[in-house]
Amino acid sequence: MDLINKSDNNFEQCIKCTVCTVYCPVLAVNPDFPGPKHGGPDQERLRLKMPSFYDEANKFCMNCKRCEVACPSNVRIGDIIQKARLKYSRHKPTVRDFFLSHTDLVGTISTPVAPIINSSLKLDSTKYLLEHVMQIDHRRLFPTYTHEKFVSWMKKQEEEQRRFKKQVCYFHGCYVNYNYPSLGKDLVKVMNLLGYGVQLLKKEKCCGVALISNGYFAQAKIQGRINLNSIRKAAQNNISTIATSSTCVLTMRDEYPHLLELDNKDIKEHIELATRFIYRLIEDDHFDLSELKFNQKKWKVAYHTPCHLEKLGWEYYSIELLKRIPNIELTILRPNCCGIAGTYGFKKENYDYSQKIGAPLFKEIEEGNFDYVVTDCETCKWQIEMSTSKKCLHPITLFAMALE
Amino acid sequence: MMKFDVVIIGGGLSGLTCGIRLAQEGKKCVIISSGQSALHFSSGSFDLLNSLPDGTRVTNPLESLSDLSLLNPTHPYVKMGKERFAALAEESKQLLEGVGIHTKGSYKKNHYRITPLAMVKSTWLTMMDFLSTDDPKTFNCKSFALFNFVGYLDFYPDYLSEKFERMGVKTQKFSIDLSSVERMRRNPSELRSTNIARLFDEEEARKNLIRILEEKAADYEVVLLPACLGLENANVISELSKAIGKPVYVVATFPPSVAGIRAQYLLKQKFMRLGGMYMLGDTVNRVDMKENSINKIFTVNHGDIPIVGDDYILCSGSFFSQGLVALPDKVIDPIFGLDIDYSPNRQDWYTANVYDKQRYLTFGVETNNDFLAIKDKKIVRNLHACGAILGGFDALKEGCGSGVSLLTALYVAEEILRK
Amino acid sequence: MNEYEVIIIGGGATGAGVLRDCCLRGLKAILVERFDIATGATGRNHGLLHSGARYAVTDQESACECIKENKILRRIASHCVEGTDGFFISLPGDDLSFQTKFVESCLKAGIDAEVYDPKEALAIEPSMNPSVIGAVRVPDGSIDPFRLTASNIQDAKSHHGTVLTYHEVIGLIRENDTITGVEVLDKKTGEKFKLYAPIIVNAGGIWGSHIAEYADLKVSMFPAKGALLIYGHRVNKIVLNRCRKPSDADILVPGDTICLIGTTSTKVPYDQIDNMHVLPEEVEILRKGAGELSPILDKTRILRCYAGVRPLVASDNDPTGRSVSRGIVLFDHESRDGLKGFITITGGKLMTYRLMAEKATDLICEKLNVKKKCETSSLKLPGSREDKETILKKIYSMPISIKESLIYRHGDIAEKMSNEDGVNNSLVCECEEVSAGEVLYAIDHMDVNNLIDLRRRTRIGMGTCQGELCACRASGMLGKYKKKCSYRAKEDLSLFLNERWKGIYPIAWGDSLRESQYSAWVYQSVCGLGDNNKTKDDEI
Repeated sequence: MDLINKSDNNFEQCIKCTVCTVYCPVLAVNPDFPGPKHGGPDQERLRLKMPSFYDEANKFCMNCKRCEVACPSNVRIGDIIQKARLKYSRHKPTVRDFFLSHTDLVGTISTPVAPIINSSLKLDSTKYLLEHVMQIDHRRLFPTYTHEKFVSWMKKQEEEQRRFKKQVCYFHGCYVNYNYPSLGKDLVKVMNLLGYGVQLLKKEKCCGVALISNGYFAQAKIQGRINLNSIRKAAQNNISTIATSSTCVLTMRDEYPHLLELDNKDIKEHIELATRFIYRLIEDDHFDLSELKFNQKKWKVAYHTPCHLEKLGWEYYSIELLKRIPNIELTILRPNCCGIAGTYGFKKENYDYSQKIGAPLFKEIEEGNFDYVVTDCETCKWQIEMSTSKKCLHPITLFAMALE
Repeated sequence: MMKFDVVIIGGGLSGLTCGIRLAQEGKKCVIISSGQSALHFSSGSFDLLNSLPDGTRVTNPLESLSDLSLLNPTHPYVKMGKERFAALAEESKQLLEGVGIHTKGSYKKNHYRITPLAMVKSTWLTMMDFLSTDDPKTFNCKSFALFNFVGYLDFYPDYLSEKFERMGVKTQKFSIDLSSVERMRRNPSELRSTNIARLFDEEEARKNLIRILEEKAADYEVVLLPACLGLENANVISELSKAIGKPVYVVATFPPSVAGIRAQYLLKQKFMRLGGMYMLGDTVNRVDMKENSINKIFTVNHGDIPIVGDDYILCSGSFFSQGLVALPDKVIDPIFGLDIDYSPNRQDWYTANVYDKQRYLTFGVETNNDFLAIKDKKIVRNLHACGAILGGFDALKEGCGSGVSLLTALYVAEEILRK
Repeated sequence: MNEYEVIIIGGGATGAGVLRDCCLRGLKAILVERFDIATGATGRNHGLLHSGARYAVTDQESACECIKENKILRRIASHCVEGTDGFFISLPGDDLSFQTKFVESCLKAGIDAEVYDPKEALAIEPSMNPSVIGAVRVPDGSIDPFRLTASNIQDAKSHHGTVLTYHEVIGLIRENDTITGVEVLDKKTGEKFKLYAPIIVNAGGIWGSHIAEYADLKVSMFPAKGALLIYGHRVNKIVLNRCRKPSDADILVPGDTICLIGTTSTKVPYDQIDNMHVLPEEVEILRKGAGELSPILDKTRILRCYAGVRPLVASDNDPTGRSVSRGIVLFDHESRDGLKGFITITGGKLMTYRLMAEKATDLICEKLNVKKKCETSSLKLPGSREDKETILKKIYSMPISIKESLIYRHGDIAEKMSNEDGVNNSLVCECEEVSAGEVLYAIDHMDVNNLIDLRRRTRIGMGTCQGELCACRASGMLGKYKKKCSYRAKEDLSLFLNERWKGIYPIAWGDSLRESQYSAWVYQSVCGLGDNNKTKDDEI
């Protein structure tokens, strides 16, 4: 019996236990946010009565889904609030929102002139200008842009990758493509060692998570359709699609059907996190890890579970992969949102809340004396690297490093 | 697939206790919990047995067991027998201690706790910072300074002071108005116990609080505060007490329960430190069973990757946490379809007076005397059930909810270890 | 002094309406009610602002009355009314020729009835059964009977009317062939006293029969029980009716945050009218009817159920009850029974209350030789006197949902409940968005004696949690501001929760049962309420 979708009116399953309010990271620091219970199921009944009940303060919701994880009644609280924003909010996206959310566009423009962009983004004058004109907090550090896009590099590897009998598609996401292609290169390296050749999807667009949270639902839907069709085409050729970004995966598996009403039932099982795919290889296909040459370096590593990965429940796979690295001393950090929530933490009105939300995590990291922090989400990585003294790597990167 | 020694479905008091006991002996365990547990509404105390099914008060739970076995032979305590009951009750307290949940009380004699509505109720174990008494008619002190936060609606000093005065303790009410609390009050719905507790996890706020307590409680023997302190930091109350040089106790508030949440966190932390895996926010949605044995289970999050164990334990709770589901004409266990002890006539489920015994509260999964689950009248060899999902007792009227959760969890864990 | 010109027995919509009308015409009037206002049929009906369409085919007179009053109430009680409109839909199996007859009859009675293409109707109201084959749109609406009654009372009081709730009439004072007053029991203190007036009005609804007996009069009433189900949220925007001869479970009314399906009709013995419990068979009939009107309801959470008794009167004193009337019944007992100073106004329906009051008050004025005309159809009730824009300007800055809530429920009175103080903006009831400020105002100005009274005026405890989070908070405030001792306050809380349970247990499965278990756990286990085993000492 389906306890989660008893009816379309998922909010009715709420029995007002208030547990979600205990785990909402925003509520802990920002009293202007109605909170998951009130902004979600409570106000949903009122909004159905009259749309004027919609409270614009619901924009403070980070869509971290921690409320949903905590809910004993399987209420999709985060979805309820996001859907309400879509339906009732009268807030129009600003230039800043456009700039922050149209990552494909900004990435495409920036990469050819990456060195200039990177150095100017470091200047105080640029930062203050961005804050003054676009309300992007001057303290926030931007990720650097790469000069050679990941897809360009991949094109050069095409022939070699095709030689592998087993193939897998890689949804690289915006971050790997425009900012940090080395993660993509590590992924290719690791998959090759596991016997898989890597190819790109026929056509890949930004998953759209930033578009959704900034109100560009129509654009997100267009991009979503393209992505689903590409994944579908790959699935038809019996090729699975893997991604390294936990947020991209959650968006395409859950947000597409729940918020954008894009039906992905036929291919939902064909898009998954790289570490989950690798877990299957090791556990079910019995890939023998002793075939790989680990360099036996000793590392003290802390693993941070990104909020979206906690919602998927898939941190298990990343952790199991890390455990397979010999000589690793692994600590699982306490579940705590890092506070950046994608584009949320760039906005001036949210910056201080973001930092307050992440403070306990940063403290635990600094006190732990780790060599590296590991996490699957790129925005968590930016936040941790900006707010602590530690370098933050993707599990695949660490795994690749262990195989050097 | 994901392979474990024991797969525990339900991550509340019962599931975590079971998991800790097993993990202590080196078993590789996973707990799957669809959400946070009923510990979030804890009163601050654990009840073992407060009344017999016929309403008779119980002062010494151990001594009342023989009466219980006459009145309700299907009660989980009766199934385990008196000796085991005593041993497991003591073990439960030790387990809680070991996790960092310090309590006062004994299974041999009930003591009394103060409820948010100023009733005096018997109980087994009460967490250290909470106000309690051995004699329901008095406290061992002469005067209380009773504080509440301005605008906090889930605490009732008027009821409490009236009650305490009647019990012979002079009680003076005070209000605390701090700017940090005032800021939280801006939110119409979120001045809850947990949000206040978070404020006082900060040292600065505690310093201000200490100043207020020192000043206002100067002429009183004991300071009482609402139980909305100490979410992350378990030592807030003892710190306050040391600073002002007086005993400080808390009195339970309306949910959410800060102490209950802290207890849940401590249990979970212990379980994970022992190597246990805790999967929060996941629900079992498919089961692979053959010849009265569970082969594997599947969950929403893990999709086609099954979770496999040598043993399975079902402790997913009662209706509240959807361990049991009530349809208009029947009650089911939505995961395994186990045999449920319930009445097929819905009119039998309730009576019109909500304070009378409600039969639906006694419904639950049927088991043998060793708490092995039963499906289609046959025992499921590798599936045990424990906690609130069990049938045959009334947690509300008998006041035995946490006792059943703890004792049956340990019983089942030890059954599995014995194998 | 205990002397008035008019004594009105019964605090439902009818009694309140009579009180208002009398007071507006300058009469010194007092209303006596044994419980709280709107506890009889007034508080237990559909909350439907009839367009009259439902009666058009079988009872033209009723239909004409209805549409006239519908228009009046939309004007004078705008803050209690939602002009939702209604659809009368025909489903496969229904006779479409009935629809033709239906439309004709409506137009004849002055009711706007427009035939819609089923697809169009479905686009306007997506919750209706998608297999709809015919739809007619009429000016139905929904009305909140509690606030309507309270508003009438408030207007009466501001025109020197007096209201005594929790005062029961235990006898009529008779001198030969004239009723000169009533004997009253104050249920709070146990005190008995007498009130005198030249005219006594029996507006006791179904209990009017019992009151008439105090004067040895026979007014034959035939109680007809009707049960209704309340669903957890507002599924439809527009009232949905079945376009066929009136039958069980064929009206789905949206109101405030919920929608409800009604009703059934079973004759009950007179001695059972204070003991209304909803039976499983009634629940089934209602669920089935609801699912036919809107299939979504098959999967929608049912919040609670309730039952009321319709006051059906034998209009020509036929003791066998053969000619039972649902129209307005006004008995002048002087001409009917030779008993002066006593009139009975009963029958009718919630939305014709004003007309009933007008007729009764006209008769009263005739008897007292007062030459004032009725103005209740034109004078707006308090709460409906200002439009939303004006009200919004006067209200202090506060969170939007609280502001909207106050205005929705109380119209222009919202201004008096709004406050800069953060504490007053705290929510007591989170489901229905009831702030502490609203609760305090109600306690101070609206004759609130206990939690159930409070619930009627503010909707506390009427949301999905059914009092689980809010009852205790409200109880704490009530205890503090009414200076109740904690024993009384907890007793009141216990009664309130039990009253909620009465409407939940007949539909307690699924999420409603989960809610009940949680509620029982918090109130009885954690808080210790209702512990039957307590000893004398810890009783309090």
